[in-house]
Amino acid sequence: MQESLEGAEYTLVARKPSFGLPTGCPICLPVYTYLKLANLPFHLAFNNTFPDSDQIPYIESGTYVAYNDENGGVIERLKEDGIVDLDADFCSLPEWISMKAMVSTWLADAVMYELWVGSDGSSARAVYYSDLPWLIGKALFMKQVYIVKQRFGITKENAERKEAEIYKRAKIAYGALSTTLGDQTFLFERPSSLDSYLLGHVLFILQALPESSVLRSALLEHGNLMRYAEKLKPDFLEAGSSSSVPQFHSEASSTSTRRPSNSSSKTKTQPKREKTEEEKTFRRRAKYFLVTQVVAVLVFLSVMGGYDFSEVEVDDDEGFGYD
Amino acid sequence: MPKPEDDLSDRVVRNYNNDEEEEDLYEQTDDIEEEDAEEDEDEDEDLESQKAKLRNRFQNFFRRIQNESLPIRVHDVVIKGNTKTKDSLIEAETASLKDASTIQELFAASNDVNFRLQALEIFDSVKITLDSGPPELPGTANVIVDVVETRSPLLGEIGVFNKGEVSSSTLEGTLKYKNIFGYGDLWDGSLAYDYDHKAEVSAGVFLPRFKGLLTPVTARIFLQSQDCLKFSSFKERSLGFCLGLFSTRNHDLAYNLAWRTLTDPSRMASSSVRRQLGHDLLSSLKYTFKIDSRNSPLRPTRGFAFVSTTQVGGLAPDSRSLRFLRQELDLRCAIPLGFYRSALNLGISAGVVFPWGSGFSSMPSPLPERFFLGGNLSPVCTLGGPTSLWGFRTKGLGPTELRRQLRSNPANENTDSGRDYLGGDLALAAFADFSFDFPSKWLSAKGIHGHVFASAGNVDKLTENAYRNFSLRKFTESFRSSAGVGVVIPTNLFRMELNYCYILKKFGEDRGKSGFRVSFASPS
Repeated sequence: MQESLEGAEYTLVARKPSFGLPTGCPICLPVYTYLKLANLPFHLAFNNTFPDSDQIPYIESGTYVAYNDENGGVIERLKEDGIVDLDADFCSLPEWISMKAMVSTWLADAVMYELWVGSDGSSARAVYYSDLPWLIGKALFMKQVYIVKQRFGITKENAERKEAEIYKRAKIAYGALSTTLGDQTFLFERPSSLDSYLLGHVLFILQALPESSVLRSALLEHGNLMRYAEKLKPDFLEAGSSSSVPQFHSEASSTSTRRPSNSSSKTKTQPKREKTEEEKTFRRRAKYFLVTQVVAVLVFLSVMGGYDFSEVEVDDDEGFGYD
Repeated sequence: MPKPEDDLSDRVVRNYNNDEEEEDLYEQTDDIEEEDAEEDEDEDEDLESQKAKLRNRFQNFFRRIQNESLPIRVHDVVIKGNTKTKDSLIEAETASLKDASTIQELFAASNDVNFRLQALEIFDSVKITLDSGPPELPGTANVIVDVVETRSPLLGEIGVFNKGEVSSSTLEGTLKYKNIFGYGDLWDGSLAYDYDHKAEVSAGVFLPRFKGLLTPVTARIFLQSQDCLKFSSFKERSLGFCLGLFSTRNHDLAYNLAWRTLTDPSRMASSSVRRQLGHDLLSSLKYTFKIDSRNSPLRPTRGFAFVSTTQVGGLAPDSRSLRFLRQELDLRCAIPLGFYRSALNLGISAGVVFPWGSGFSSMPSPLPERFFLGGNLSPVCTLGGPTSLWGFRTKGLGPTELRRQLRSNPANENTDSGRDYLGGDLALAAFADFSFDFPSKWLSAKGIHGHVFASAGNVDKLTENAYRNFSLRKFTESFRSSAGVGVVIPTNLFRMELNYCYILKKFGEDRGKSGFRVSFASPS
């Protein structure tokens, strides 16, 4: 399979560009930056009508598709499939692993909270619902806010405590990352998926969230993180880059924000188990048998009851319509 | 002289030895009997003559009705028997009685009114009596409408129907509650399932007279789910509202507002289907014009039918709703051949769908609105655009695309589920069906008959600039076709066909195979 994918054209399907970013979604942006850091040529396509899908972002090439809700995400899937792997040298380092865990949990939670609960929701509406009819966008937004609150266990009584907890963890993470980064170009010697997550996170916080955002204020306290983003942005995010040509599909699918849905985030990592041929044949035969029995009973009842085939003379003069 | 009232037997006993007295007695009795008999005869003659006069009068009356135009004026329409139903509703339905100017028109109008009132389904019986008007107003009549309201307003039904919200025949169970507010309103809740794996839960109301509108108004909300995973790797769910604005025998106008979501729980969808997944707002107006003069919906042997359905989507202030134009045409013709109740049925169906709005030529058409040919519906009875083609499986022909292939199981190329059937923006289907009775009285009495048939059809893509490469010659050369013979078994609910189909021509990845097939159809 690796041989067949070499030289293939990859397409990243993400959510629409917003706030000067190639994609305005905080889950899609790290995947975008990862592909850029890996120097993998790809096309960019958009899905603007599926904001509550967990499958987006996804990468496709011919019949190959790597969905975001499988095998730990698109980046992990690309590594497993041997397409691109920036973490080969780092994935066994304890420091890298702990940083990765911190970024993919504390910072990801902080962004999700800020986007859906902590702010007025204008950023979320711009990124996810601006291409949907108002009625549908409004309903989906309210549903997503409810889901996020359920995920964090937020109630009226503990809302403030939960918020403080989330922001506190984010600040701790920012401090640790800032310390680790120092004045380096990347967090470690070479770019890794950790850089893609951090870069995507920082850019989203700085450009997409309003100035009143608590998270944004906390990030601004770490100047080296902002310089890190500013330095990498022209090389890896500008539209003039030759390695990617943004393509806008008018029917671009709905993106999938990483909604912490109850069923999809934990269990949907593999497609349904392939049934054996015997099981399929058995089910098909059982279905035909049941349908045949039902039809036979219906035919018996109806035919034995008789059907009046006497021709009905249609006389227009006696038409009983509402004409 | 003995009195007549004396007991004759006693007189005989008393006068046993007096024959002369006995003879006198009998003579007197005979006289009396003769007088009674004469009176009876006179009475009988009067009765007979009265009957004869009455008979003559009726005969004259009916002769005059048949041959002359007898002027009459309806003086009053009296409504009796309604306790819950509003007078205004019945008066609106009986308004045509007052327009009658002759007895013949009055009879016809009464018949019509009787039918309309029965059609409201809120009366157990309707009786219309024509009575003479007031004596001081000659040439007038009073019409008495006597209704018996239904005692049980709750009604359950199960059957096979064709409905507007689904595209094919459905098995439906309905619970109706009649006349809650006395306006002839019919409230119903129903569950429906059709052959295209589409399930629907809906509730609706039927108002025969709403705000003075001449035609009934229907409104229903529905939750619909269709499983197309097997053929096209998507599931459709719609939550919506349908308003029937205008409905007569030939015309039907309905507005549909629905929130539609396409998902792929199988995660195996092809690229084209993946692009269509998501949420859409469907706001459309659908107009249907229908003429059906066939003598039978399940075994037409005479007549023709024409149906044109036009649907315009995107009629909403929000420009982000689904915008498309869809047109379907059906033409059917049944020609009797004069032996064994045989008939030749010919039919042609066509359909086209196209998006509209800026950049429409490069946009794809909505996947659920496209045309799919194939399935187990019989085209003879089905009116609803190009959908059926004998011998081909459901959605079994037309453009296809490879589905996702998993790295862990790359040997899926040979499985049946390796491709998505994408349907087409342009579809054309035609058929010819020769039906005939078997030479068996029992089979003829049951309506079981045979048929020989042939069909052809094709679907093609026009959107996303594909219309630039469209060629009529290529389209006709790539027509799929099939032929076969079969037995048709009509039932009270639907028509079932047991056919042997032979595929004459198929292309590419079409799922059509020669062999035995079962087809169904319900009256449409």
